[in-house]
Amino acid sequence: MGNGAIRRVRAWLELGAEAVGAGLLAATFLAFVVQVVFRYVLDNPLGWTLEACLTLWIWLVFWGGAFLLGPRDHVSFDMLYEACNTRVRRVLALISSLSIVVAFAVSLPATWSFISFYSIQDSATLGIRMDYVFSVYALFAVGTILRYGWRVVCLLRGDPPDPVVTTP
Amino acid sequence: MTLSFGLCLAALFVLAAIGTPLALAMIVSAVVYLAMKGQDLGLAAEQIIQGLYNSFLLLSVPLFIVAANIMNAGTISDRLLKFCMALVGRFRGGLGHVNVVANMVFAGMSGSAVADAVGLGKIVIQMMTQGNRYPRGYAAAITAAASTIGPIIPPSIPMVLYALVSDTSIGYLFLGGILPGILMGIVLMMLNYRVARRRNFPVDTAVPMRELPALTVRAFPALLMPVILLYGIYGGATTPTEAAAVAAAYALLLAALFYRALSFRALYDILYESTRASASVGLVIGGALILNYIVASENIPNVVAHAMDGLHVPPLAFLLALNVLFLLLGCLLDATTLILVIVPLFVPTCRALGIDMIHFGVVIVVNCMIGLITPPYGIVLFVLNAITGIPLREIIAEIWQFIAVLVAALLIMILFPEVVLWVPQMFGYAGK
Repeated sequence: MGNGAIRRVRAWLELGAEAVGAGLLAATFLAFVVQVVFRYVLDNPLGWTLEACLTLWIWLVFWGGAFLLGPRDHVSFDMLYEACNTRVRRVLALISSLSIVVAFAVSLPATWSFISFYSIQDSATLGIRMDYVFSVYALFAVGTILRYGWRVVCLLRGDPPDPVVTTP
Repeated sequence: MTLSFGLCLAALFVLAAIGTPLALAMIVSAVVYLAMKGQDLGLAAEQIIQGLYNSFLLLSVPLFIVAANIMNAGTISDRLLKFCMALVGRFRGGLGHVNVVANMVFAGMSGSAVADAVGLGKIVIQMMTQGNRYPRGYAAAITAAASTIGPIIPPSIPMVLYALVSDTSIGYLFLGGILPGILMGIVLMMLNYRVARRRNFPVDTAVPMRELPALTVRAFPALLMPVILLYGIYGGATTPTEAAAVAAAYALLLAALFYRALSFRALYDILYESTRASASVGLVIGGALILNYIVASENIPNVVAHAMDGLHVPPLAFLLALNVLFLLLGCLLDATTLILVIVPLFVPTCRALGIDMIHFGVVIVVNCMIGLITPPYGIVLFVLNAITGIPLREIIAEIWQFIAVLVAALLIMILFPEVVLWVPQMFGYAGK
């Protein structure tokens, strides 16, 4: 597969991740509207909407955290970082990224056993297995390890410490 | 304080200071703590997942974000500005007043200062700086200052977060913000009036009074939004989270059908941007929840309460000292972290001293909002700098006077709790 093909696949994946994120939010919003309409207009409250919203909400946060937020999109305190020259920045970025990778990697097995422990429980109204509901955190943890691991590789290879900002 | 907790704090401060994303820095330091304690490392994930999954109140956060973004994208801000222009544009420093009043009205629809600064701010600053009528630093500074009213007049994302950590009623908190928000608007307009006279800012041609009814009609559906929202919550009709959904749905209907200012593509972009914003706020909330768990298991809040009890500090002195501390922390930390991590440390002390938790909550949220515009770390200043290109130096040179009057307003709220509590009491709040 050539470079062009890889880039195209990547672009498609990114678009897909975006669409899933936007879809999750749209679904949360819709479920709420359904809930409000059924409870207040039709006077026939639904039980499942609440649970659907809570499930969608954690999926939205961790999906977004795993695939939609680059290092520069997070809330961060970057004044010191910005004030440093490129060499110091590279070191700081390396320390940040490495600590993230190590902490997430070290806690991954325990995290996974916490999630898989919930396979014995189904959710209250929709009856979805809770380990499926919570599994998005594992996605987030693995996504974070990969993203920052790749950043470590790039920094060591000599790429500039500031990732290219792709979104305005 | 145990060694594990000390190391956890050290990791947090070092990582945060060198620019590590705050949410991830909090998770990393939590893992450090658990490892040192020899506890299950999966606890970090457990706390963050359960914390987010079990809080129905937090669901209002993405919905308020969507509502604000929809209103920014449609022509709603535009119509509001025209309405405010007709209302207060005729006075000296008119556009400054328009800026403040528009922010107060907009505050009734959005719960985030940054959203207000981005949406309204961009347009108002353009209007003010056209033909060099106002110094651009001044235009940006008054916009920044006015945007802090956004989360004080309900709805308010920071107040939702405060309600979460302090276990107080979000309804009464929202009501408690109404008068303080108006007070902040008044002090900003007084300052603007003085500065405009002293520096001889231009007077705009007055919009003829006979046009006011038409402009009001055009802005009316947008002006109705806060009414719907407040009625929903205080009429007891909906929960605050449902009210947030209704608000977002109403904004969508207005923008798409009534004002016809929203394409499908634009809607997709709004959803995508709101998802990113919600995820980034959600992760910070999650990170703060783990830290809360650690702070609680170290029994820090009770230690603080006990120490304060021994000192026999009068409640007012404690409140004043705490506000000074928060103003200083606000120069460095962001509001979400302050409210979720630092506030819980002092909640037991406040209760022990008999300080009203609604009063305390509103005061602290106002304080944290002032923190959004205090250099060196003032997120609203950065946002305005990024979207308008006005140099930070010029904004900062003008911002101090606004910070001074806002702190004066804060002092009034601290000294006279009635400013906060009068409205909630009218709606049946019994106090404490």
